Amino acid sequence: MARLHFLKSGLQTTIQDLGRQGVQDLGIPINGTMDKASAQLANQLAGNDANSPVLEIALLGPKIQFEDPCQIAITGADLSAEINGNTIPLFRTINIEHGDVLSFGKPLTGCRAYLAINGKWDIQSWLGSCSASATNTAQTTPDSIIVKDQILEIIRGKEQPIIAISESERLSLSIEAPIKVYPGPEFDAFSDIEKQSFFGNSFTIGPDSNRMGYRLKEALSGYTQKKEVISSGVIPGTIQITNSGQPIVLMADAQTTGGYPRIANVSSNDLDRLAQFKPGDKVKFELISFK
Amino acid sequence: MKIVRFGDSALLLNFEQKIDEAINNQVLSLYKQLQEIKEVTFLIPAYCSLTVGFSENTSFKTLSKQIEELNSKSQSTDLELNSKIIEIPVCYQTPYALDMNEVSEKTGLTQQEIIDTHCQETYKVYMLGFVAGFAYLGSLPEQLFCPRKEEPRKEVLVGSVGLAGLQTGIYPANAPGGWQIIGRTPIPTFNPKAEKPTLFKAGDAVKFKPISTSEFEEIEKRVSSNTFNLEEYYG
Repeated sequence: MARLHFLKSGLQTTIQDLGRQGVQDLGIPINGTMDKASAQLANQLAGNDANSPVLEIALLGPKIQFEDPCQIAITGADLSAEINGNTIPLFRTINIEHGDVLSFGKPLTGCRAYLAINGKWDIQSWLGSCSASATNTAQTTPDSIIVKDQILEIIRGKEQPIIAISESERLSLSIEAPIKVYPGPEFDAFSDIEKQSFFGNSFTIGPDSNRMGYRLKEALSGYTQKKEVISSGVIPGTIQITNSGQPIVLMADAQTTGGYPRIANVSSNDLDRLAQFKPGDKVKFELISFK
Repeated sequence: MKIVRFGDSALLLNFEQKIDEAINNQVLSLYKQLQEIKEVTFLIPAYCSLTVGFSENTSFKTLSKQIEELNSKSQSTDLELNSKIIEIPVCYQTPYALDMNEVSEKTGLTQQEIIDTHCQETYKVYMLGFVAGFAYLGSLPEQLFCPRKEEPRKEVLVGSVGLAGLQTGIYPANAPGGWQIIGRTPIPTFNPKAEKPTLFKAGDAVKFKPISTSEFEEIEKRVSSNTFNLEEYYG
């Protein structure tokens, strides 16, 4: 058994796996990691299955005391991870000693880091997933939103050889390149001017953006309100245009149905990368066609 | 029915875009059949559309063909819906009926007429969405048509029964919302601990039954002390 003691919770630290798929017909969101590729890579480096839980750490990380030796890996955003005050490499298996303290500092690149810990996590799951759920959290996933002084227990797995993934082998987490999107179900309801505005301009990720959705600050120029769509399914990556003309990109905790016109859907790979954009960052969209 | 692509791992079936029981039955018929296809990862049935998620083990083309075939064979009249009517006790009195006066003004009906009209109809669960377990019930009798509130509430309490357009519904949890609240039910419609966490599923039949404030409080007490048996209540 490995025990972890959270000395600080961090800004928003949650336990996530690949989410609860197959209950959207009951109105229950998928949840799960925002940047799936990074989370799976962390699990791989720590010797876990792809669907094992990880800690998703947003911008300001937690402070964790390890009460037992174990193996960990951190991927995704560079949030200045340190062990006992010394910088540690990302994208690499790391051996932890009894009493080590993992802390985070200034966010350098990206928004979300993933911390995988080798072994089986002793936490409650709901509908097949331990991802933090906004639905009756206290009853469904009480352990999955990390709070100060929380204890996490992990049944240690098989010792893992040290693996490192070089920079050239990693998926780009750059926020410079445009985000690739497919035309959405109501794409044709938008005028040429509105489409040009959507694909020609940069949008700022708004301060009220979260795991449910990224609200973009700028409105489409010359936007005229569309007829309301009769409530229909939405999925992570769906970009809706609200009545004021502002886009919302739905993310992992999105509700299952909506009534705003859906202009586009972010490609799965770029949805992982979009999860690394933080409030204030600028995003551009690029239209791609279906293969 | 039209099949359109919806991102790289889902597709959307669009039926004639209107709120209509026969069209919704077509949605629910395919919803039921597609549950049998193992490459389908999730389904979101709605009023007149069905979102279908699929895994990497199939393609848009292959799955579309399967859906076309199923759709040409199936008739929405084949659909067997749950014939048992779920009866929901609702207290339409203060302090639960927050918008009764506004609804009365907008519809020109008295409180008693609103209650009688709301309780006379058997409603169909067209879809679930908005928050976990929220069932969109329809259609309301035309006389009860009422637009949403101009200023949505930041929090509507669990159990609140509301109207919006020709729809009615019950809040399964405290949530923000703009529906006109005409009463509250003391029974939980969402129970995360249950194997099936939602009381309703798409296609169910629902009827409301008026109860007094004291009956409300009695059931509420039994619910909070865990002595309320939903199955027993529904016989």
